[in-house]
Amino acid sequence: MTLLAHLLLLATILAPLGLLATAVTAQGRLRLPALLVYAPLPGLAAALIAGPAPPLVIYADWLRLSLDLDAPGALLLGVAALLWSAAGAYASAYLPGATRFAGWWLLTLAGSLGVFIAGDLVTFYFAFALVSLAAYGLVVQDATRRARRAGAIYLALAVLGEVFLLFAFALLAVSIPGQSLAIADAVAALPNSLVRNETILLLLLGFGLKAGLVPLHVWLPLAHPAAPMPASAVLSGAIIKAGIIGLIRFLPFEGGIAGWGLALGVLGFLTAFYGVALGITQRNPKTILAYSSVSQMGVVMAALGFGLAAGDAATPLDAARYASHHVLAKGALFLGVGVALATGARRAAWIMAPVLLLVLSFGGLPLTGGALAKEATKAQLGAGVLGWLSALSAAGTTMLMLHFADRLRAGLAETPEASAPPGLILPFAVMTAGALLLPWWLYPAAVKFWPALWPVLLGALGFLALRNWGGRLPRWPEGDVLIFAERAAARVAPPLAERASRIEATLRAWPSAGLALLVLALLLGLAMAVAA
Amino acid sequence: MEATPGGFLLVLILVAPVTGLLIGFAQGGRAAERIALWAAPLGVTMAMVLLAGVLHAQAPIVAFVGGWAPPLGLALRADGLAAAMLMTTAVIIAAITLFARADYTTLPGAPEARAPLAFWCFLLALWAALNAAFLGGDLFNLFVALEMLTFGALALACLDGRATQFKAELRYLLFALIGSVFYLLGTALLYGAYGTLDILLLSRTARSDAPTIVAASLMTVGLLGKMALFPLHLWLPAAHAGAPPAASALLSGLVVKASYVLLLRLWFWVMPAALLLAVAPILALLGAAAILFGSLVALRQARLKLLVAYSTVAQIGYLFLMFPLVAGSAAEVAERAWTGGALQAISHAFAKAAMFLAAGVIARGMGHDRIAGLHGAARVAPLSVLAFGLAGLSLMGIPPSGGFTAKWLLLQSALYAGQWWWALVIVAGGLLTGGYVFRVLSAAMRAPSPDFMPAAPVDARQERVALGLAIISVVLGLLPLAAFGLVLIGR
Amino acid sequence: MIYGLVASALVALGLYGLVTQPALLRKVLAFNLLGGGVFLLFGVVAARGGDPVPQALVITGIVVAFAATALALVLVLRLFQITGAATIAEDETRR
Repeated sequence: MTLLAHLLLLATILAPLGLLATAVTAQGRLRLPALLVYAPLPGLAAALIAGPAPPLVIYADWLRLSLDLDAPGALLLGVAALLWSAAGAYASAYLPGATRFAGWWLLTLAGSLGVFIAGDLVTFYFAFALVSLAAYGLVVQDATRRARRAGAIYLALAVLGEVFLLFAFALLAVSIPGQSLAIADAVAALPNSLVRNETILLLLLGFGLKAGLVPLHVWLPLAHPAAPMPASAVLSGAIIKAGIIGLIRFLPFEGGIAGWGLALGVLGFLTAFYGVALGITQRNPKTILAYSSVSQMGVVMAALGFGLAAGDAATPLDAARYASHHVLAKGALFLGVGVALATGARRAAWIMAPVLLLVLSFGGLPLTGGALAKEATKAQLGAGVLGWLSALSAAGTTMLMLHFADRLRAGLAETPEASAPPGLILPFAVMTAGALLLPWWLYPAAVKFWPALWPVLLGALGFLALRNWGGRLPRWPEGDVLIFAERAAARVAPPLAERASRIEATLRAWPSAGLALLVLALLLGLAMAVAA
Repeated sequence: MEATPGGFLLVLILVAPVTGLLIGFAQGGRAAERIALWAAPLGVTMAMVLLAGVLHAQAPIVAFVGGWAPPLGLALRADGLAAAMLMTTAVIIAAITLFARADYTTLPGAPEARAPLAFWCFLLALWAALNAAFLGGDLFNLFVALEMLTFGALALACLDGRATQFKAELRYLLFALIGSVFYLLGTALLYGAYGTLDILLLSRTARSDAPTIVAASLMTVGLLGKMALFPLHLWLPAAHAGAPPAASALLSGLVVKASYVLLLRLWFWVMPAALLLAVAPILALLGAAAILFGSLVALRQARLKLLVAYSTVAQIGYLFLMFPLVAGSAAEVAERAWTGGALQAISHAFAKAAMFLAAGVIARGMGHDRIAGLHGAARVAPLSVLAFGLAGLSLMGIPPSGGFTAKWLLLQSALYAGQWWWALVIVAGGLLTGGYVFRVLSAAMRAPSPDFMPAAPVDARQERVALGLAIISVVLGLLPLAAFGLVLIGR
Repeated sequence: MIYGLVASALVALGLYGLVTQPALLRKVLAFNLLGGGVFLLFGVVAARGGDPVPQALVITGIVVAFAATALALVLVLRLFQITGAATIAEDETRR
């Protein structure tokens, strides 16, 4: 059994990469898009079967690769693999013949599933880098000016995130006694590390960037609308979860850290409300979904933060449950946008009905999967002020998502008879069913009816108000605060590089180089003379 | 010190390319090409046998030329570092032999021409010089090796015969000669003080007195000039960017490393630890400045080859960060830093050779190397753009590349040693590197204008060679870390 | 002692010339001056100890310097034939 589990874990990462390797032949390249649906299946099987097996460790002496599947990881791995598979099927219908896109897709997939099963620092960093950097290829697929700008900003921030994490991981590795690089050992050593605060700050920066923690969320509303539909679905559904699993894996929930937990929790709620506030000023359905993702990840991070503050060891699994609903529902909705855009008014009900159900599921409507997701974080966000804040955020989410449905209806295809091809409808249907039903299988719970319902009703009221008076809201550009950062960078960066070039040109002249030679010789000699 | 069994292999490694060179020179370009083609696999095999021998013995392999022991005779000494560098050299030279066939082959029936003869002969000469520089156990001997290296490299770089090349390479020659003179002055002082120039003999007797200090600073500065460490890099960008692709790859990937290994020998073998402690922070500071300045200036370059050359200026800087981390640290930290530094030298050699070869193919296919005008390059030379990207990953330090492992080791030892500021430089350099690699790739990946026509057909074999080197630079990071224990042997 | 001083003076003169003179031929000559100074220094070392090894080193050094000079002169000559001028002023890297 352990052997099977290990083989599945290995195949989770190697199957997409192996498939990619078939692209060396022209024939393999052509077949690639049609095979995307199968690539995540080993991951799905691993999530279902592998369960809590002992970790797989390769190169035990200087630990270089280890794979490990715990309960939160298995949950997220399973739903992410399902989304990747459905979106892969969708992609082969949506972008037939896009072989290069398929290549980027497989690379991103390998990293995206890899972060859920990585057991040591180096493997995790590798998977994280893979998912972060390769997703660039998905963002720029449309090759428009907008896609390129979004791609460049995405990549810059992704690399910045990598840098934060590299630093954090190096600090973690130094804190571990002995040679081990296992994540579990790193987390165990973290609370007593001499550089604990620096490490946690860097971890929050690196993972927060990926998960959309305000104000590091700016890439989300740019990248999602610019990417093709299936790419947006996995971007929002699966890829940003790399940040969430990072926080789950690396923060010491066992002992808890009050100060940092509180900070993350407050920032999380801030993000949750910020996402709603900016989202309702948007008109593009995909941008609205992106801001909703920002908001939802804010809720997850709030749960993680307050769980960390309380030292609640159940937090990782609870937060993973909340996040898993988002994987399914947000993935379904992005796929649904593509279906809706291809559907005419006559068949509108067929698409708008499931969309509306998903939308209300986000608000936590009783009987939907969303209600169970909300219930899962009761322990962290259920009591007192936090309970009120979380109910309010559910109301805000309902309002935002209804706004999304409204904007989506305005974007239906112009010919009334138009209907989407089955290749798009089927994956959407699978994901919708998954979002509404799977939580009942994965984490059933009894949900109290009224406390779950009133935020939805409040959100609906808010939406009616928004419809009537929303026109007066100021319009925010996609990526909001980024615009200021861009302007500031445009003012600072070129002069800096210009100055460096000018200094460099001076240094390159013969007399200054000769002088530098002598000065250096004197300097070295002097330093040695002083020391000797 | 005793000569060890297997010493004849060291002599063979030195003599083989020289013999090939002599025969090739006498027989003409066609023969020289054939000899180089045979020598390449032979060289890789010899390097592999030597590497296995050093690993097996867990000790350096030593030979005395003519059986005369130092101080009268000359020693050849292959420790782990030398074996690793010899292996790197053999593989890269073999790759360049394959790459250069497209440019410098003499077709059957065609008359002998000067360029092929010169190329193949100087390639063999350069190889011999590199081997001598890594194996030499005597400071004067190493000086001669470095001079041979400069001359060989220079001849290869000037092969196209353009005026800009002559200018750039003359600047290189003259500055390298200044470096040589400084170095030679230092050896004269050392000989005057100790009566020997053998590295191991010196390491036992070296004192921290005035002649030693003067000699050390002169020799160090001379070597820094030959390595083009910031701010002594005036010659490098034009010299490396102006040469033909095969020569650029050799210059940037390997030639610079010979001076580096010599610098390591000087400081970690010959000089007393007290002096090293005083000098190490200065060297690392220069390295840090090189990383930041070189990367910033690379970001601003309009031409692809100059960008790659400035990237070399920056990457050389990383090699110097290891000095303060090895000097005066606990043994385990020092080992990490040493391994990181050596691995940086090796992975940069592969990555930069790949990058220059790829840039050469791209420039030929597009007819120019203006970065702003590279739209469509990914269609003209897809494998080369891929090679450039992979090599870029290694330079940035993205896993699983060799560059990542190198920078990770340096980063860790910086934190262990409590010198976190070097860690900041390492990550900032990675970020800037990402910037200039992205600039090139994003331009190359864009669709060309509809009326775009490639300037020249691209040779698929050349593309594959560049890609192969880039893949090696990445795969290096997948080797288990223990494999790099090799470079610790004989330290 | 006097040889030592002369050697130092030669080195200093040569270095100054090599760095500041724009004309290539002068740079090459300055390099030879510089080299001469260093070889003289080896001579000083040899004279002090009555040791033959420095002389062997000097001979090797002179051969290397001769080769370098020849190489530099060939390059200068070719450059002059192509461009009609013999300087390496910084110009072509900034195109």
